[in-house]
Amino acid sequence: MRDGSSADAVNADKWEIQLRKGCLELAILAALWGGKRYGLEILQRLESDSDLIVSEGTVYPLLTRLKSLGLVKSEWVEPESGHPRKYYALTASGRKRALEMAAIWTRFSTSMSRLLAPLAEGK
Amino acid sequence: MADNAQQQIDAYLNRVRSRLRGLSAQTTGEILAELRSHITERAVVGGELTATSVDAALAALGSPEELAAEYATDELLARAEVSRSPVHLIESLFRWASLSVAGFFVLLGSVAGYFLGGAFILVAGLKPFHPETAGLWVSRDATGDVAFSLHLGFGSAQVGGREVLGWWVVPIGLLAGCGLVILTTRAALWCAHQYRRAHAKPHPG
Repeated sequence: MRDGSSADAVNADKWEIQLRKGCLELAILAALWGGKRYGLEILQRLESDSDLIVSEGTVYPLLTRLKSLGLVKSEWVEPESGHPRKYYALTASGRKRALEMAAIWTRFSTSMSRLLAPLAEGK
Repeated sequence: MADNAQQQIDAYLNRVRSRLRGLSAQTTGEILAELRSHITERAVVGGELTATSVDAALAALGSPEELAAEYATDELLARAEVSRSPVHLIESLFRWASLSVAGFFVLLGSVAGYFLGGAFILVAGLKPFHPETAGLWVSRDATGDVAFSLHLGFGSAQVGGREVLGWWVVPIGLLAGCGLVILTTRAALWCAHQYRRAHAKPHPG
């Protein structure tokens, strides 16, 4: 994909990757808002509800980090049939953090949309 | 076919495991169990694992080395930041150094800092036992270059040299030594923190 694309396109690409990276943490916290989920469920939710198309591997180290930060907790659940799954749920400080981040996000995206409005009109 | 698929999964997880050296057995076990659970569920098609579906699941997960590096760096540096003990820090830095070039240079700098700091403290401590010989010595070599050296005071006095600080080496040595150790710890933790902020984030897809 990147072969033959101009330097500008590569830079735009990098910018988009950075943008996604920055949002992923909030996206994971948001995916857990409705209750506990295991890794693959979180991934599927991110894929269906957002275009944060991530390498599936990136979600797991991030979940581990969120856990070490105390924002989520985890437990293994072994179903009667099938293999065990590691479920994650928000902790109290995780819920608080998610709300804070969501507020920042809303403020940020509102002002960005306002700023970008002329660009949309000029199309 | 199913055996083949299991082997593929094991091979992938072994590659992750070999890059997670340095993490506790419990953490490693937890990480591998979660990844196995993910791969198994992701790759089951019609109740069975096939080589093709496992291939696809592993490809979607990304390279085992990259995945392990994300876990390892984050985990090790997080532990070092919590502990603050130079011993733990150096231990973690050794592992960081085995994972990245940045870690290698931070390790190098930290070892030098702790070594010099330790030398100052040692000289201060040994001065009372070797009052004539322990201390900071200044000497001139044949070409006239001035050289400073810390002497613990074992053996005889340096010929052609001069001990410059006298008993002042005790407070100055302690102060400089402790200062260096604290400064080194701070600097290494700062580097680790910066590195985590820059790298311990998900890689692009």
